[in-house]
Amino acid sequence: MLNYTLRRLMAIVPTLLILIIICFYIMRLAPGGPFTSERALPDSVMKNVLERYGMDEPLHVQLWTYIKNIVLYFDFGPSFSQKDRTVNDVIAQGFPVTLTYGFWSAVFVLTTGIPLGIVAALKHNSFWDYVMTGLAIFSQIFPNFVLAPLMVLLFTLALGWLPGGGWNGGHWSYVIMPAVALGTSYMASIARLTRGSLLEVLNSPFIRTARAKGLPERTILIRHALKPALLPALTYMSSVFVYMITGSVFIDVFFSTGGIGQDFISGAYSRDYSIILGLAILYCVLTFTLNLLVDLLYAWIDPKVRSNL
Amino acid sequence: MSRHIPLLSALLSTSLLVGAHAADVPAGTTLADSQVFTYRALDEVSSFDPQVIEDADGADIARDLFEGLYNQDADGNIVPGVALSHTVSDDNKTYTFTLRDTAKWSDGKPVTAGDFVYAWQRAVDPELASPYAWYMELMSIENASAIIAGEKPITDLAVEATDNHTFVVKLSQPLPYFAKMVSHTTTFPSPKWTIDAFGSDWTKPENIVTNGAYVLTEHVAKERSTRERNPMYWDNAHTVIDKVVTLVIGDDSQALTRYRAGEVDKTDIPAGQYPSLAAELPDEAYALPRLCNYYFTFNMSENGPEAFKDERVRQALSYAIDRQVIVDQVLQGGQFPAFTFTPAATAGFEVPAVDIAGMTQAERDAKAKELLAEAGYGPDGEKLAFNYLYNSSEAHQKVAIVASQMWKQKLGVDVTLENLEWKVFLETRGAQNYDMARGAWCGDYNEASTFLDLLTTPSGYNDGKYSNARVDELMAEAKSSQDTQPLYTEVEEILADEMPVVPVYHYSTNIMLKDTIKGWPIHNVEQNMYSKDMYIVAE
Repeated sequence: MLNYTLRRLMAIVPTLLILIIICFYIMRLAPGGPFTSERALPDSVMKNVLERYGMDEPLHVQLWTYIKNIVLYFDFGPSFSQKDRTVNDVIAQGFPVTLTYGFWSAVFVLTTGIPLGIVAALKHNSFWDYVMTGLAIFSQIFPNFVLAPLMVLLFTLALGWLPGGGWNGGHWSYVIMPAVALGTSYMASIARLTRGSLLEVLNSPFIRTARAKGLPERTILIRHALKPALLPALTYMSSVFVYMITGSVFIDVFFSTGGIGQDFISGAYSRDYSIILGLAILYCVLTFTLNLLVDLLYAWIDPKVRSNL
Repeated sequence: MSRHIPLLSALLSTSLLVGAHAADVPAGTTLADSQVFTYRALDEVSSFDPQVIEDADGADIARDLFEGLYNQDADGNIVPGVALSHTVSDDNKTYTFTLRDTAKWSDGKPVTAGDFVYAWQRAVDPELASPYAWYMELMSIENASAIIAGEKPITDLAVEATDNHTFVVKLSQPLPYFAKMVSHTTTFPSPKWTIDAFGSDWTKPENIVTNGAYVLTEHVAKERSTRERNPMYWDNAHTVIDKVVTLVIGDDSQALTRYRAGEVDKTDIPAGQYPSLAAELPDEAYALPRLCNYYFTFNMSENGPEAFKDERVRQALSYAIDRQVIVDQVLQGGQFPAFTFTPAATAGFEVPAVDIAGMTQAERDAKAKELLAEAGYGPDGEKLAFNYLYNSSEAHQKVAIVASQMWKQKLGVDVTLENLEWKVFLETRGAQNYDMARGAWCGDYNEASTFLDLLTTPSGYNDGKYSNARVDELMAEAKSSQDTQPLYTEVEEILADEMPVVPVYHYSTNIMLKDTIKGWPIHNVEQNMYSKDMYIVAE
């Protein structure tokens, strides 16, 4: 297992390198640059600006310098659009914000989705099952970009309970709406997955055996059925969590949380190469690490997987 | 040095006697207990460093944090800032500013002429590489261009502190509106000792030292920045607002929702919503003239279509646009139909009576048909077809659709609309890969040359590559003339005749402002806000 973990961790280095090289060149293909502005800068000013950011060098030299700075100093370069800040500053400030409400969103998804799914499976075809199905449909037709404005209309304008946006140091009242808006559709998916797989497990031979042995239904559910039944939900959740962190651009922009999603958007519009590249690397490392964690978790839960590692 | 004071400065000296501007609270006003002003900004600022800032939101904050030689009052006139007054030499090329001796930095150090020398040298320093270095070139400061080009050391910039409170600037040529230009953020002083100590981290709230009415106390990028009263500010006794909070809200309608929820006191009105908001909240919705123009530019370079080289075609296309319809039916935000390039709101500019402005739309339409037929296009001639390029935005799209319909119906012209993402658009237009394109400009300072210079041959924003020797000559002459109106009138007349661009409308700013907020500069067409001049009344 240790061997496996190390092997996986080592694979991240070439992956990142390839990612950096591809991203670096693709960004430069887009017309316009960070200093393209409505009034073209006079040549002498442009020359100074390019020199300052090392952009007067040939592309491969810039790439080499970029990689060298990361490896030697963990320096991801200066931001071109937020001139007082470096990419390290931007990530250090924005990532904890996105991670915080992403985490609470995941907690919300798991603590509501899994119980809903279990209840729906146990009370198969009952009222609760229909409630769950109804919720699932509701969250599908109300994706976060519809749900978020509706929530703001209700909780901010009509009821005045929650602030309509901002972060305010992560005060709970500012976290609730982003977390719920981000998580709702995933919550429904988790509930459906849990319901389906639990139903399947409950109908499988080993559960029948357990029942035949006379084990109480409660023990069967908790000790035998739940662990395998949660596997699909868990796999799903792991990839979803990365999505929640990296795909929360809308939430960041809409709720003005100050999270990194906003940087990704504005970085792309302003051709802030170093921000885009820095965030791409962050997202890549994040995806990689979380996938690894999930695989390890999987192995811990499922003996079949463990023996294959 | 004799004391020849040109007209502008004479006017200026008069206004200086009135004294500095501060929050002007009428007697009997009940102020609100909490003097906290919160407003919405669209995006994170480019910087807090006055020499580096290049965006309007950043400039709003910088005007609170720093104070330059002159400030603007609520109408946009210049009033004393750190400088009390100035004199101009006989040749109109040397400006001597007298600084007040009570001005202090937030760390208690006095603000001296040396701080301005340092800041202005910094602005042109190739090492700092400020994108706004061009502004110093525009101010015609001697040697600025050579320093930016790396041909001379920064110490050669013709600025000097003859003593702690006398700041002398030498210009390479007389510039009648020079004094107006020193209220711009690029010219604000900066604290050398702080910059030396903290380097690029000097603008962080824990390090920054400022000389304005406020100090930066909090900055959470992309979420908020907070500034609070600077007790060291020389006029702190007259400041009323204690705290100013800028909230970054990227989405227009979300910003409006938060305004309605009382989270912000001022926000922008989303496009097209001014009429309904003005009806619903008449005391809070404003449509204010703004120092910006909107136009279509013909590609007159070699890449451009042959048809656009014919003046009559350009005129016909301009005459056929019903500006009133665009303003009243499409934009609905109190914009102004434009027949000249320079907005009427520009200070000291009188809109010349160009022919096109005096006609009815029916007359213009008839004239347009006639002109196009003369040029050999239209029903009896060749079919005119071209591309119109604009940057992706709902508002620009609406204008483009309406304009192309007008051309189609009135002149039988086929227009293909093409929209591009902002930077791609700039690149494409800048490389003259278009037939006709959208153009717009907001004045850098409140004087007609900030617009008209754009259509001179060497201008960096002349993407249509229009070139007229007489226009170049007149604009060069205007730089040192004491009476610029006749020159600008002639330029506008040439433009109305040769029509290198189609002026469509002059902008308005559409904002929501809580009626308890007083002193926001609704009469300043540049909308340059100074929180120190504002106050909040009790509800």
